[in-house]
Amino acid sequence: MSHAFGALSGVQLSNWDHVNMANRPLSPHLQIWRWGPHMLVSILHRASGDGMAIVGLSVLVWWLGALASGPDAYATFQEIATTPVGYVVLVGLTWAFFTHLMSGLRHFVLDIGAGYELNANRIWSIASPVIAILLTAGFWAFMLTKQGVI
Amino acid sequence: MGSGTSIGKVRGLGPAHEGAHHWLVQRFTAVGNVVLTIWLVASIILLPDLGYATVSNWLAGPIPATAMVLLVICTFWHARLGLQVLIEDYVHEAGTKFGLIAALNLAVIGGGAFAIFSVVRLALGGAA
Repeated sequence: MSHAFGALSGVQLSNWDHVNMANRPLSPHLQIWRWGPHMLVSILHRASGDGMAIVGLSVLVWWLGALASGPDAYATFQEIATTPVGYVVLVGLTWAFFTHLMSGLRHFVLDIGAGYELNANRIWSIASPVIAILLTAGFWAFMLTKQGVI
Repeated sequence: MGSGTSIGKVRGLGPAHEGAHHWLVQRFTAVGNVVLTIWLVASIILLPDLGYATVSNWLAGPIPATAMVLLVICTFWHARLGLQVLIEDYVHEAGTKFGLIAALNLAVIGGGAFAIFSVVRLALGGAA
């Protein structure tokens, strides 16, 4: 820190040459604030979005590529997708999808300037991920019932 | 950063004035994603089974094929914007940042092109 303020401490007041990007002030980060559900939903939004961007789009590309390549390639995709690890990935992706969808819809509301009242903000910060978990459970309950696994 | 005129000392330290466009496109693609991904999830739920014959016949139809191509464009674009922000937030070294964003562009355009080509091949009956 002494370096950061060095330019302001005396003789070098007018010399800005060594003030670089690293010395610019940072906004307060996570550890500054008291924890609240709005922070959780924000982190979940980024984690689920970037998770889907990397893992989800890879699975989508593989699924479409297997379909275009024919029955054998599709059978390989199905075989791997229905292993225990495959199910963990697929359940994780559906959870990420519903989580990102719910927190994304919340962002639309915030974008028009609504939902910032402390109570409303808190309620929807908690409701978004909870609704997402319920939708994920509902989706898989339906899919597994339909497939006759349960 | 210059050491001459007053404006030269601060030029480059402020915003790039490109944030609003990035922000808006992220919202536009988000709206598209809401429609298209709900269509995909509903389709997966409504298909009688997820075997090769059922899924390939369904996706070869004009409306599902068009929707899937749009879904690929919209989700890949949205993902490109989101991952760019992730990189910009956590990678502070200019060279590494440039390299990662270049790699991101290659992955997104390459993956998206392959996905679209796959749908088109199915729809036009080229698959085995």
